[in-house]
Order: sequence, then C-alpha cells, then structure tokens
Amino acid sequence: MENKIDQTLDCKGLSCPMPMMKLAKAMKGLKSEQILEMIGTDPGTKSDLPRWCEKSGNKLLEEGELDGGFFRFLIQKK
Amino acid sequence: MSKKTKESGVLGNLFKTFFAKHWPVWVGAIVLGTLNILLFAIKSPWGASGGINNWGENVFKLIGIFGLENATPTNASLYGMLCLFLVIGSFIGALFSKEFAFRIPPKGELIKGFIGGSLMALGATFGIGCTIGAFFSGMPALSGGAIIFTIGLFVGVIIALKYLMWEMEKFPKFSSGKSYIFLAGTGKSGRWQIYLGWIVLIITFIIAYQYSGSNKIMTWFIIIGMLMGLISQRSRFCIVKAFRDPFMTGEADGSVGVMAGLVVGVFGFTIIKYFGIGIGDVAARAREMTWVFPHFFFRAIIGGFVFGLGMTIAGGCAVGTLWRVGEGQVKLWASALGFLLISPISKLYIVPPIVKSLPQSWDFKNYLPDYLGYPGAFGLVLFIILIWYVFVKWNEKTGRFSAF
Repeated sequence: MENKIDQTLDCKGLSCPMPMMKLAKAMKGLKSEQILEMIGTDPGTKSDLPRWCEKSGNKLLEEGELDGGFFRFLIQKK
Repeated sequence: MSKKTKESGVLGNLFKTFFAKHWPVWVGAIVLGTLNILLFAIKSPWGASGGINNWGENVFKLIGIFGLENATPTNASLYGMLCLFLVIGSFIGALFSKEFAFRIPPKGELIKGFIGGSLMALGATFGIGCTIGAFFSGMPALSGGAIIFTIGLFVGVIIALKYLMWEMEKFPKFSSGKSYIFLAGTGKSGRWQIYLGWIVLIITFIIAYQYSGSNKIMTWFIIIGMLMGLISQRSRFCIVKAFRDPFMTGEADGSVGVMAGLVVGVFGFTIIKYFGIGIGDVAARAREMTWVFPHFFFRAIIGGFVFGLGMTIAGGCAVGTLWRVGEGQVKLWASALGFLLISPISKLYIVPPIVKSLPQSWDFKNYLPDYLGYPGAFGLVLFIILIWYVFVKWNEKTGRFSAF
C-alpha cells in the first residue's frame, strides 16, 4: 500500500546537525498521523533518525537508499 | 572445498558486522579510549589540534610567509601524521561501508564550516587543546584545567546551538540551496569502494612499515591513527554530538558513548601516571604532568567557550571534522581549512599579546592529585562523569532542557 506523503523535506547536501534539526522542526508542524518524506545525503542520518523516532514515539514507516547516494525516510507523526 | 566456502562465509559475515551498519557510539568510544591509553603508554596521549596546526604551518612554509621555515615537516611530526592517518582511516571505513561520496553542501553551509573551523583554531590555541587534548585526554590526565575547559565548551555549545536554531527560523535559505554529490557508492556499482578501501589499507601498512627501522613510535602512531579514524567513522564518534544533542533533540546516546570512552581513559591514564609506565628517560614528574596544560583557569574557560562555539557551528569537533573529511563531507573540508589556516596565525599573532597581559596565577598547570591525592582526583573525575550521566538520562526522559 502506498503511503500518502503530506510533506517532503529536502536535506540533500546537509551534514549533522542540520538534517535532524530540520526534521524535528518539520515534524512539529505536522498533525498526528501525517507523513513526512525526508531525503538526505548524510550517512549519520541512517542511525540518528531511527533512534530519534524510537525515542520520540514517531513511526518510521520506510527507510532506504536511492541511486546516487541519497537516503529516503518516511516518518509518521505520532 | 566446502571448508573454504565456509571460511569465506565467516569472514564475509565479520566484514558485514563491521561495515554494514554503524556501531553504537559507546563501542567506538571504548575502543578509542583503549587506543588512547596505548598512545600514552608508548609516548603521549591523543590530541588533534596540534596535528592540524602542523598542517597549517607546513602550508605557510610552502607559501613562504610568517617565517615558518623551521616548522616540522608533517611526515616527521607524530601528531601531524596521527591526524593525517585519522583522515585516511575514516576514508577506509567509509569505502568499506560504501558510504564515501563527495558531498558538496549549499554555500551557506560552506561558510559556516570555515567560520566554525577558524573559531576552533582560535579556541584551541587560546585554551591549549581541543575536545581531544583538553577534554577526551585531558580529563583522564587528571588535569584541573580540562574540567574548566569542559565547562567553557558547554557554554559555547549552548549559545551556538541557539544561534543555529535562530538562523534556521529566520534565514532558512542560508542552509538550503544547490548541493551536489559525486562518486556515491550505492548499490552494486559501488563495489569499487570496497576494492579501493583494501588498496588504501595496504598502502597505510606499507607506509607504517617504512618507519619501523628509524622511528618505531611513528609506525604505531600511523597504525593507531588509521584505526582511530576508521572506528570514529563507523561509530560516528563526535564530541559536539555528546555536548549538543541533550539540548537539541534530548538524545543521550552520543553523550553516554563519550562518557564510556572517558571512563576507560581515566583508568588507563591514572595507572600510567601512578606507576610511571613508559617513563623512559623522562622525569617521573614530567610523566605525571603529561597533558596537564598551563591553562587553569582563564585560558581554559575562554578557549573552551570559543572552541564550543566553533565546533557547533562547523558541525564537528576536531576529530569529528577529521573523520568527516575522510568521508567526503565538503562542509568539514571548509572547517579543516579554516582550522589549519587560522591555527598558526592565532599562535603567532593573536594569542601571545593577550596571554602576555594575564597574571600568572590565571594560567598555570593544575594537576588534581597535587591537591586531592590520586584517590581524590580519580574519584572527582568519575563523579563529574556520573553527574553528567544522570543529567543527560534525566533530560532524555523529561525533555526539560531539549529544544525539540
């Protein structure tokens, strides 16, 4: 089943801490159950983001690597 | 035949364990703490700003300015080579995990990298040490100045984090815009990164071996530097993260990891100092005073503060900058450039006139065992780490001091 994306956050080219700061801010602006797509290039996000979701209670629906060195995450707000 | 297949399966799995996923920070930090003890046992502890300063001096020597003709060539400088091979070790780690790529950020981020690196250079020169020398090694060295430096770091990090949040709110465009990524190793086409990783690893050992006849200590500084870079890259070991994240997202993992490395260091360093291990022809007192810098309290507090500002703006402390350079993060290349260019300038022209005007009682070597005895000093450092641990864990639960 395709997830309906409510907002896309572009963090390409950014390194720690900007992706996580922008993500935390963007999530604040979403309503419960809404879905955010984040695309980035910082390998650190691969471990920071799932850990943050686990602790903040938001749900990590998908994580994957796209061609060209991009990482893509789908997060649903709790 | 079947035995051979089984063996390669085991090795393959081991490779995957190391390079498919990031390691928990605490695992990396404990290994780094142990390697730091080895460095101290064979010569002197881990430091980063001295090595980067050596690079800068050699750049100016090459250009022929500032009268640095007598600067030690990097290939003869223990710490210059330690830092260089830390970058190479991180490059190897990134290649093995196919995480290497040239990542060019938006312009605003490059500017922040350079400014952050320059501030780190200024802070390290004034405070005599960086997050490694005056914190990750300085606290285990039982230096009173290191505790003061750490307080300065905290204040600098909190203020710079407030700036970053303000910038994100008011000028979001500064950290967005065109970015580029080259040579990424995603998917099967990225296998070249693993092959290149092996080649660079072999070259590293050949270079280390070249020194084994004339300079055995250098051989081990090269190997340990490479391992430190590889481990830092795999575990994302970053001291900015340890100080910043509790005030940002509230996460404590980075802090607890660094604490684990510190505790290992405290045990090892205290034993080395107490028993005078690796003393060679150095006086017992000199061995005790290793990595206890004359910065208590004024130079430590101001240096730590400026360094804390710089590393938060750059997004990497001294070691965090170095291993991200090896991973291909061009923002941190700007940070390293700012660090190496401004460090010799600070040392020659900016810091000396300020230091001259300070009373001697503001800047001396404070060795905690002189005041508290070894048990007291050892206990105090562990107690500070414990308080920090209780704070970050409590804050993680309550979110009391976190911005998000």
